[in-house]
Amino acid sequence: MPRSPDLDTIAPDDKVDSPAPKVTVSSPDIPIPSTPVPVTDVHPAPKSHLKPNYFDTPGFHKKVYDILGHTKTPFSSFLVRPDIFTFSEKDDDEEILLVLRPHWFTNVGWIIIATLMLFVPLLLPYVPLLNNFPPNYQFVAVIFWYLITFAYAFEQFLSWYFDVYIITTQRVVDIEFNNLLDKKFSEAGLGAIQDVTSRVSGVSQTMFNYGTVLIQTAAEVNQINFEKVPNPDKIVKILGELRETDQPSLNQHVS
Amino acid sequence: MNFGKQTNLPSTNMFPNLNHYLVLAEKIFFILGAVIYFIFSLVVVKQTTTMSKNVQDKFNAILIIFSYLHLAFSLLLVIITITIL
Repeated sequence: MPRSPDLDTIAPDDKVDSPAPKVTVSSPDIPIPSTPVPVTDVHPAPKSHLKPNYFDTPGFHKKVYDILGHTKTPFSSFLVRPDIFTFSEKDDDEEILLVLRPHWFTNVGWIIIATLMLFVPLLLPYVPLLNNFPPNYQFVAVIFWYLITFAYAFEQFLSWYFDVYIITTQRVVDIEFNNLLDKKFSEAGLGAIQDVTSRVSGVSQTMFNYGTVLIQTAAEVNQINFEKVPNPDKIVKILGELRETDQPSLNQHVS
Repeated sequence: MNFGKQTNLPSTNMFPNLNHYLVLAEKIFFILGAVIYFIFSLVVVKQTTTMSKNVQDKFNAILIIFSYLHLAFSLLLVIITITIL
């Protein structure tokens, strides 16, 4: 029985044999270019057609606040719709919904170390070898030590402060500064998010309610991890909400 | 038998300038360390400025001020090391 070419009657995975397109050359005098012609997308996928209509509405903002709550302190690791915060790669029509930093408890380790480092020069009289140094050398060494202590604490703070995870109305972003001058920027559109899971493990994470949110994406970076962020359950919930809201955009991407 | 008693004989130290060289080495070590630290603090300023350009938040200005203060103190360290040592 011959297969029907009618699209309404065939199954989605049925193979349809269509005749090969005929190549017609209108005139033999017209030269055919040997270099490939660049392919341009006639129908580029929209970033998200819902943004101007829905994401700017008070109803959506209320839903965001209902899920995430309000930010209490400016040094919080969980900034909901911050007024001042922005980043260099942000688009004009993009709104920041949530800015995340690692939970404050992750700073306790380096704060204790820096505090202990402050008291190290007090032990100087008890080290006989160092007593042989002239007093002016000891003075310079102490200043040097305090500068190193400050630099250590400052570097740790910068690392915490500028390593941010951002959820906007269009994408999730991970900005990391690994060491002094190494920046890593990862992003995935909301439509590209495939799966979101959270993981809270250990005593401190359970006590202070922070953990890792793992975001599987269909983007170039196939996984974005929000590490040691507070309220991972709320983050999973807001991402789920945003994915549902962005679903028509996702469908358009697929079709 | 005069064991344990001091004599008026001249010093027989074979390396009279060893202590001098040691102090000189210490001084060079301190100055070199201070200069390297000054370069490091310059990098910290650059790093803080770059980070602040990428991620703008409320306290960026304070952090930049701190990085410049750190730079000033490290410069002071270089000056102190050269002058008082």
